Amino acid sequence: MDPITIGLWTTAGMLVMVVLGMRVAFAAGLAGFAGLFWLRWNGFDYDPARIGKALEISVKIAGQVPHSKVSSQALSLIPTFILIGYLAFYARLTTALFEAAKRWVAWVPGGLAVSTVFATAGFAAVSGASVATAAVFARIAIPEMLKVGYNKQFAAGVVAAGGTLASLIPPSAILVIYAIIVEQDVGKLLLAGFVPGAFSAVVYAMLIIGIAVVFKNVGPPVTGFTWRERFAALPPALPIVAVVVIIIFFVYNPFGDAWGTPTEGGAVGAFIVFLMALYRGMRLSQLKEALIETAKLTVMIFTIIWGVLIYVRFLGFAELPSAFSDWITSLEMAPMLILICILLAYAVLGMFMDAIGMLLLTLPVVYPAVMALNGGEMVSAADSAFGMSGPMCAIWFGILVVKMAEFCLITPPIGLNCFVVAGVRDDLTVQDVFKGVTPFFMADAVTIALLVAFPGIVLWLPSLAG
Amino acid sequence: MAGTSSVLEDNSVLSRLDRALVPVEWFFALISGIAVFSLMFLAVWSVMGRKFFGSPLMGYVDYIEAAMPLIAIMGVSYVQRTGGHIRMDMLVGALSGRAKWLFELISILLILVLIIALIWGSWAHFDRSFDCARPLCSRDSSIDIGIPIWPSKLIVPMAFSVLALRLVLQAWGYARALVLGLENPVAVPLILTVAEQAKIEADALGDD
Amino acid sequence: AATEWNVSVWGKRRAFTEHVEKLAELVSEKTDGEFTMNISYGGLSKNRENLDGISIGAFEMAQFCAGYHPDKNRVITVLELPFLGVENLQQEVAVSNAVYAHPAAVDEMAQWNAKLLMTSPMPQYNIVGTGTPRDELAEFDGMRVRATGGIGEAFELVGAVPTSVTSAEAYQAMESGVVDTVAFAQHAHLSFGTINQADWWTANLNPGTVNCPIVVNIDAYESLSDSEREALDSSVPEAIDHYLANYGELLKRWDEVLAEKEVEKVMLSEDAIAAFRETAAGPIRSAWIADMESQGLPGQELYDLVEQTLADAKASGS
Ligand code: NA
Ligand code: NA
Repeated sequence: MDPITIGLWTTAGMLVMVVLGMRVAFAAGLAGFAGLFWLRWNGFDYDPARIGKALEISVKIAGQVPHSKVSSQALSLIPTFILIGYLAFYARLTTALFEAAKRWVAWVPGGLAVSTVFATAGFAAVSGASVATAAVFARIAIPEMLKVGYNKQFAAGVVAAGGTLASLIPPSAILVIYAIIVEQDVGKLLLAGFVPGAFSAVVYAMLIIGIAVVFKNVGPPVTGFTWRERFAALPPALPIVAVVVIIIFFVYNPFGDAWGTPTEGGAVGAFIVFLMALYRGMRLSQLKEALIETAKLTVMIFTIIWGVLIYVRFLGFAELPSAFSDWITSLEMAPMLILICILLAYAVLGMFMDAIGMLLLTLPVVYPAVMALNGGEMVSAADSAFGMSGPMCAIWFGILVVKMAEFCLITPPIGLNCFVVAGVRDDLTVQDVFKGVTPFFMADAVTIALLVAFPGIVLWLPSLAG
Repeated sequence: MAGTSSVLEDNSVLSRLDRALVPVEWFFALISGIAVFSLMFLAVWSVMGRKFFGSPLMGYVDYIEAAMPLIAIMGVSYVQRTGGHIRMDMLVGALSGRAKWLFELISILLILVLIIALIWGSWAHFDRSFDCARPLCSRDSSIDIGIPIWPSKLIVPMAFSVLALRLVLQAWGYARALVLGLENPVAVPLILTVAEQAKIEADALGDD
Repeated sequence: AATEWNVSVWGKRRAFTEHVEKLAELVSEKTDGEFTMNISYGGLSKNRENLDGISIGAFEMAQFCAGYHPDKNRVITVLELPFLGVENLQQEVAVSNAVYAHPAAVDEMAQWNAKLLMTSPMPQYNIVGTGTPRDELAEFDGMRVRATGGIGEAFELVGAVPTSVTSAEAYQAMESGVVDTVAFAQHAHLSFGTINQADWWTANLNPGTVNCPIVVNIDAYESLSDSEREALDSSVPEAIDHYLANYGELLKRWDEVLAEKEVEKVMLSEDAIAAFRETAAGPIRSAWIADMESQGLPGQELYDLVEQTLADAKASGS
């Protein structure tokens, strides 16, 4: 049997295990291990005398992966980003941000909703995880909106959608994972998320203002804050700015003398938020809680990472990724059309899968195909299908799939952010939240279309970085 | 997302074993959390040293790489106990009674097969880097400051061994539920609806 | 039956991997496609674990560098000692071959089930840097340099601070100011992009190089048919010749690259280089020999072998 056939059967087996409810990490790991064994024994012509040898080799190859793949400096960003999010909560940065946003922008139509979007965007600048962001703001922002008479479905939708900003605006755990899988510069990818993230926030805000102008009963503006009050609200939110500045300094040196790598930037950011949390009276028990929660989320993510990478190691031996990209490039279709089909496939897949699992499972095969579609890793902008160089295409596609993954957090039937918001508020059902979030996922669809049509939105900032 | 869920307890041997393993798992998870925390200080030290004292921390990357297995793998069993590893449970969640326990049991046994293979394989990986006839028992060293890698490699089979124990208990729990036709068995994570999961997720950051 | 070998290298196809590509081509030609090699750039293993992969039998051939993990391959690190005095790639091939044939090297690799097949000769490392050129030894004081192994140690002895980043992160580290300078061979300055970041390049510092052999799995090698083994063995010199010719072209183009990227070529004075060698070469060599001897390896003998082979190579005009 040829390796590619083995690769396809093993992949099908993995998908069956995933659908039947096996933990994704272990289904992928088992498929990878079984595939390695099958491939090897196939190489031995199924000689019964050599089954032991085939087993030993595949066990040893699979057994290398967990240590080998997690021992990476770049991946150390993930736990740091997660830690920042938990510490920020105890530093009460979330409340401070919302208060500041409220006093400054709540006077526009739909003001509190706009404030919520900007506050989630601000929190996104320190938090690497979308779901946590939605949970936090469901507590803080929804009660305030209801108090002044907002439609409750709409209020819930704003928070569910605002939460998704956390994975585009750096820091972002999911962008780091993308960078690792496709072996691109983490710093540039994080930088690239900034503009599309802010862009998404602005699209949300405009949408809210539009809705508030058309439907008068959605949410009244909140006015009456004095300039004194406005300025008084800023200092408690300042650590966010400090962290953002630090991360920018570490990712790209605007003044020619930068401070370190993104890895260090994340950790120093965490340290600042930690000091802030101490200052705001975080207790030892709370610190321990934050550390355990960080460990849990980190382990969960890393288990998928090493599990999937066992499968990816098998794919390497089965030569499946190159076969798939050969097939994609041989299609008689316009590259842009194929890319759009791929994005649509992600939209469908994302309805049923977790974002990180989805990216880890698909990217090893899909990414090389997209790069081949554009004309290869090293293609110049002039010779490429999408009008951008290989490295730029890697960044652009990364932002697109992460935006797709975020989009999936607010689409039915298992848009997790919506469930989180409904879970926090006893007076809201999941259907309420899905109803409220509908305008936002339509806005997201428009945003994604714009990012596809105008790659410059994604690429100008990273291209400045040389 | 993390399918956190609840584990019921009673006075049976199984439940007592289940609870006996928890402190070990919790301790491993705490070590992982503390390692993340240390990473933060290490970076601050490295940056301060380089920026302000002209003496960068030698081997910064080597230390991070050595610490990562601690961070990424030590807590694997703690998360498995409460069913925290991601899965699609639409199908298995719709099942009930014995059919459900059968699916869960098969799934746990398959994971156990993988983990036993990985204990063997990761031990072999450790073993290749370990030779006590040499200085510091080292047969594999890091790229910059040449620290031995075997301690970091040893973490993996260690964490996986605890996970294997956990899986045996869970297999026992599901098998018992299957045979006795239990409604709410002990010592296994019970599936929550997505909404219940989200509720727990939301409560994780309780009011301070 | 047809024999297919998996070969694990890393990065992208570049001058550093041309001999492997050529070897695969030659072997396939000589055996009428009966013996083929499937070269994987990073798909089969992490580069620092290629030796593990050979030992397991995961793949049949691989490339690795001694400095990645000195404890796995103590013997051949002799080739990474600073200031050995190697002047060109032919001499690098000669000293590598001599060490690879030494029983201590053969024995240590056999513990990994590996047989040393050929080297990947690299010119002397030199540093690229940003800002004002550092052309005096005193200016190396406090310099953060990306350099590994013996070269890193050498820089440390003249007051520089070897700073840890992987080769893939070197560009980023330089751009962000984590390091001031990066030490690489020319092809790596090109493929990792450090040359794009540079203002200057030291043309004659030549502190040493790294040693990156190609190894084969012993079991796989022994189970080849006689004609296959003959095809493999006889292709090695040709593959190396191809590599040298190809790298020679790259070096010829190097001056053009420097001009195109507006990188200044910095020459250090003979005195400065002599002082550097004085400070670094002796102490590091003595420490290395003592360390090897204490572990029961013939450190002195290996070092003498390198010196002798190099002298012979120079005498014979290569
Ligand atoms: Na973020
Ligand atoms: Na979803």
